[in-house]
Amino acid sequence: MKLSLLLFGFGIILVVLQTTLQRLLPIGVVVPDLILVLCVYWGLHHPTAGAALGSFMLGYAVDIISSRLLGVNAFAMSLVFLAVYLGSRSIWLHHPIVSSIIVLFAALIKGAGLVLVWIIFLSTEGFWQGAVKYIVSEALIAALIAPLMFTLLQRGENLVTKPGPAAQ
Amino acid sequence: MLAFLRKYQIPLSSGFCLLLSFYILIVSARGQLKNEPVGAALMWVLRPLQIVSQGTANWIIEVQENYLTLSGFKSENERLRKRIQALEVERQRLLEAEATNRKLQQLLEFRIRLPGKPVTASIIANSASNWFQGCILDKGSADGVQKDMAVVTPLGVVGKVVSVTARSAKVILLTDANSGIDVMVQRTRSRAIVSGSLDSSTVLKYMKRSEDVQVGDRLITSGLDGVFPKGLMAGTVIKVNKQSLGLFQSIEVMPAVQSALVEEVLVVGIGGETAPAPN
Repeated sequence: MKLSLLLFGFGIILVVLQTTLQRLLPIGVVVPDLILVLCVYWGLHHPTAGAALGSFMLGYAVDIISSRLLGVNAFAMSLVFLAVYLGSRSIWLHHPIVSSIIVLFAALIKGAGLVLVWIIFLSTEGFWQGAVKYIVSEALIAALIAPLMFTLLQRGENLVTKPGPAAQ
Repeated sequence: MLAFLRKYQIPLSSGFCLLLSFYILIVSARGQLKNEPVGAALMWVLRPLQIVSQGTANWIIEVQENYLTLSGFKSENERLRKRIQALEVERQRLLEAEATNRKLQQLLEFRIRLPGKPVTASIIANSASNWFQGCILDKGSADGVQKDMAVVTPLGVVGKVVSVTARSAKVILLTDANSGIDVMVQRTRSRAIVSGSLDSSTVLKYMKRSEDVQVGDRLITSGLDGVFPKGLMAGTVIKVNKQSLGLFQSIEVMPAVQSALVEEVLVVGIGGETAPAPN
């Protein structure tokens, strides 16, 4: 529970960074999807009911800031969490390249979820060319930053969960 | 039953979240989701963090630009380099102050020409998603900003307010694929809709094939959509393609405002007409 709350708090900070500091990155208009990487990490390493709710809430936070239609990213992040959780039970994960590949697939699943929502609720005029561009670029960037973020999260987690001198 | 719930708690809670988000999507698409408290609470938490983070980003960019400006003087001796550095920093500060002053002066002159009582606001965050083009303003309902108000600069249309909290407002930009602004060609007065698209271009929709539209034509708001005052610059036609089939022309537009470069905007109420600019 404590870890879920900490990861959620960290997710809120990532949302803020994603909306403000992305201007400093030399990658043009594509926003790196840090929340997606966090949700994948959550689904792989600490899958709980709280984590599922946390992924939903972080997606909702992105919706609050970015999306005209509320629920789009909440849906996509819940989908990613569920897919990663189900996938993680049959994959050996503890390697940076494997984590990159999982994030790549998770980003593609998120893209598919967004396409589904877009087709149902929003206009599809001039949609496909842009959609393919964003799905591919988001997935590649997320896969590239995944090993670094996983390492940072793992270290942060070790710091938080490491027993104090009294416990030793 | 309890054992089942315990065993499948993760897929069940994920499924619940999926259903809940789908329900939110349906309610939101119907426009029935108003004043929901979770969003307002999240925005209340995020707003101060965004202001601090945006300030830090601006500071880093400023430092970076100062560094780039000064890097050419490295070969000079230490005393002169320090002197130049100090002067350059001072110059940057004065240039920035002058640019800000000019910008605010323009904004003030433009504000007088607008109908109603426009609210001046700063952009404190950009869209966190590649699929939507939007931004967050530092003013909300407590400052007089309401849903469906127009967001403009002296150069033209930026977008419109789609939701507000007490101290912030969410704006959908003209370049968003789901935006739509009623405009007319200034030269011929023919009407159409300017909208964004996901492939990063802005287009003029529903312009009949028979209408005369040329590259370089200026598009201004018609004032008929009940959001934007009449006469604001929306963009310029950069490409016209009359396809052999179909009712409409395919027209690409360069938006009047590059929203990535905008820092301050005016939020204008519904209705009215923009007074012409003084010569």
